[in-house]
Amino acid sequence: MSHADLQPHEKRRRLSPSTAGFAELKDFYVNVQLRGDRREALHFVDRLVKEGHSVPDIQQHVIAAAQREIGRMWEDSRIGIAQEHMATAISQLALAQLYRYAQPLPARGRKVVMACVEGELHDFPARLVADALDLAGYETRFLGADVPTGSLINVLEQESPNLLALSITMPFHAAALRRQVKSVRDHTDGRLPIAVGGLACDQLKEITAEIRPEILATSAQEMVEAANRLFGLSA
Amino acid sequence: MSSAATHNHNEQSMRRAWAQDSCEFALACDGDGRITWADECARTRTGASEGMSLFDLGADGMKERLQSLFRRAKEAQTQEIEVPITCDARIETWAFRGKPDGNGGVLLLGREPPKEYRGALRQVEQSMTEIVELNRQILRQSREIERQKNDLEKTVRELEESDRGVRTLHSELEDSAEVARRATSMKSRVIANVSHEFRTPLHTIMGLSRILLEGTDGTLSDEQRKQIRFMRASAEELLTLVDDMLDISKAEAGKAILRPERFTVSEFMSGLRGMLRPLVTTPENVELRFEEPQEPIALETDRGKLSQILRNLVSNALKFTETGSVTVYAANEHGDLVIRVIDTGIGIPNDQFEHIFEEFGQIESPLQAKTKGTGLGLALSRRLAEMLGGTLEVASTVGAGSTFTLRIPRVHPEVSEYQRLQTREIDPARAPLLVVEDDRKTIFIYEKYLAMAGFQVVPARSIEDAERIMAKTRPAAVVLDVMLDGETSWNFLARLKKDPQTHDIPVLVVTVTAKEERARALGADEFWIKPVDQARLLRKLGSLNTNGTRGKVLVIDDDERARYLMRKHLEGGSYQLFEAASGPEGVVMAQTHRPHVILLDFLLREMNAFDVLDELKGDARTRNIPVIIITSHALEPEERQRLEADTEVILSKQSLSREIAINRIRDALRKAGVGVAPPQASRP
Repeated sequence: MSHADLQPHEKRRRLSPSTAGFAELKDFYVNVQLRGDRREALHFVDRLVKEGHSVPDIQQHVIAAAQREIGRMWEDSRIGIAQEHMATAISQLALAQLYRYAQPLPARGRKVVMACVEGELHDFPARLVADALDLAGYETRFLGADVPTGSLINVLEQESPNLLALSITMPFHAAALRRQVKSVRDHTDGRLPIAVGGLACDQLKEITAEIRPEILATSAQEMVEAANRLFGLSA
Repeated sequence: MSSAATHNHNEQSMRRAWAQDSCEFALACDGDGRITWADECARTRTGASEGMSLFDLGADGMKERLQSLFRRAKEAQTQEIEVPITCDARIETWAFRGKPDGNGGVLLLGREPPKEYRGALRQVEQSMTEIVELNRQILRQSREIERQKNDLEKTVRELEESDRGVRTLHSELEDSAEVARRATSMKSRVIANVSHEFRTPLHTIMGLSRILLEGTDGTLSDEQRKQIRFMRASAEELLTLVDDMLDISKAEAGKAILRPERFTVSEFMSGLRGMLRPLVTTPENVELRFEEPQEPIALETDRGKLSQILRNLVSNALKFTETGSVTVYAANEHGDLVIRVIDTGIGIPNDQFEHIFEEFGQIESPLQAKTKGTGLGLALSRRLAEMLGGTLEVASTVGAGSTFTLRIPRVHPEVSEYQRLQTREIDPARAPLLVVEDDRKTIFIYEKYLAMAGFQVVPARSIEDAERIMAKTRPAAVVLDVMLDGETSWNFLARLKKDPQTHDIPVLVVTVTAKEERARALGADEFWIKPVDQARLLRKLGSLNTNGTRGKVLVIDDDERARYLMRKHLEGGSYQLFEAASGPEGVVMAQTHRPHVILLDFLLREMNAFDVLDELKGDARTRNIPVIIITSHALEPEERQRLEADTEVILSKQSLSREIAINRIRDALRKAGVGVAPPQASRP
């Protein structure tokens, strides 16, 4: 915990979730993550809910934002992979806790299969999107990290979803994305809409322009809105 | 040395041998990032070679990261920086450290995290993904369970609501039924009370008009006498009407008494003809015809009720027939008597057929408006038809006329049932019980309850019948209505007890517990129904007042007109009249004046007649004063019940139908030594 961004203990104590802005809340949470304090992280999420913050707000503006911050810290080599893993594990726990508080919308009768592109090991962003879709009333099947194309096709056959969402966070999985999208389209005669999302999308403009997914989203919120539009459902 | 030589090992060959498994490699670059030196591992695993760019080692999109590392390493030694690179044709993240080589170039050391750790971490992450997913599934399931629970609760609530609704409906129905019950009971009360309220003033009018006609207070002119006679006739007519109303209410309450008699259809029809002819007001327009069968039809039923039905039907038919005819047709159909009243009047629409039999169920029509009626005629007729064990139906065509069909058994079911009881053989397994009783219904009640107790009722409707039965049968016991034939009954009882052949047969004496008898039992000496007949009153008083002194009479009545009437009745006689306007006042006056006789109104407002009697009989001063109860009121069942002070041997007929009375009969029979054992056992 020798990191420069860590705030002094006293400052953490004084943070009031009801008055602090999301940026402040996110910073506080990042510190908790990097300290590896699972208990405090869950306590913090509980407090946020009790102070009246909505579950989607906490998911997006605190946890997802904190995860992006963690990613930037790694890129800047301020933290290593080990810390990133630890932080992500804590966020998984926090998301599970939040999911418990969430009030899902009534079922919309649409099914989404959510998977990380083959080779993609970062499944946390996909988890965020899956939860958001789930709470928006979509029936969601979450397949997790690094889903090989064969397994993906099998699941699609079994589940017959209305939408496939693929998550890509590292640009070097672009080739896998291209391959996987092609296989799915071939297999379903292009009838299954495909959504592509993740941090890497910004860096993959060329390839997304080439494969032209039905939905391109860089956040959970965008994904839900785009899915609602695609199926002609109100928010 | 020799071993080294033998195996020909040197550093280079060793590095080459482990290159594939090495987790570290070293690189040197010039100031532009061009690789100037690469060790065996770097060359083998990453494909690095002298002359190629360092930045080409990075995975797609990772060049910048290597450039940043390179720039920093040119300045000073860096900490470890993780960079995904293409390694063994896969992308692996290596940690690099760099430092300046002193000649403007950079020295790099790459380190790969141990494979086992990477694998374990991957497993841990996958497990977490799965656990987290399981967590979502469990939460989703619990939400689904929650939803189903809510659905169930909603269903339960809905069921509870409909249950409540049903219960509300039920209670509303009960309320309606209660309202109907109350209305019915009020109706009977109203009728009973109206009869009282009407009768009292009518009696006053009739009594006073009689006094006027007798000229006690001065003679009247012929014209005045005529007027008074009209008044009196009107009052009598009104009294008849009030009595008819009571009849209707009795029929409705099922209290009417059946009086079957034997007669023939032609006898009946000729009587009917004479009675109904005057009802035809326009003989030139409407003909009243009677058609009867050739063969004689013998009947045994209630003639009065039958004629009441036909009077109603014919007068009704005449009302609604302006021209044409009204035909009364009688025939024997399949053993039943069928009488049809066929008119050529306005007719009745189909949908009104049942409605007209309802009370006050008159239909709207111009002719209807012209004719007056109570709306009770057809309802009463149908009830009477049912009492005769039959039916009354209507068939009609609007504009063509109506046919009312009365169908009744020629012999009333009660009569035939009684005949069956009378003529059946004595069952040797049962104890014969002679019941001397003229009311068939009472006999049926005895039969119904005592048959189950092992008795066979042998009915006798007269003492004569009873004597005949006694001559050939020895009953286990006799139930005797002593009021049946007056003295003859008492004589029969006496003979039975005197005869050594029969003196041991238990006789249960039953008496008609009319209010009179009960009132007697309570201490009343006479029980008169209003209007009080002056001559009877004087006779009675004469019989009571035998010692020649001036008789003192106390009248207890809260109706001033009734007292006035009494005063007029006794005027000029040798009586001293005391008047009390209430029960308590009457009791006090009785105690102070010691009258020779007390005339007590049955219906007093403040204190009822029973309480007055109790007080009078409870005081030594007044105990022996004869009391005559006077009433104009139809008794309520409760009042009747109060009058029925049952003793062990005196049973009340009115309560026979009640189970308790039956139990008492059984108890009494048991006490009298008549058990349910086989008849042989009870014989001497």
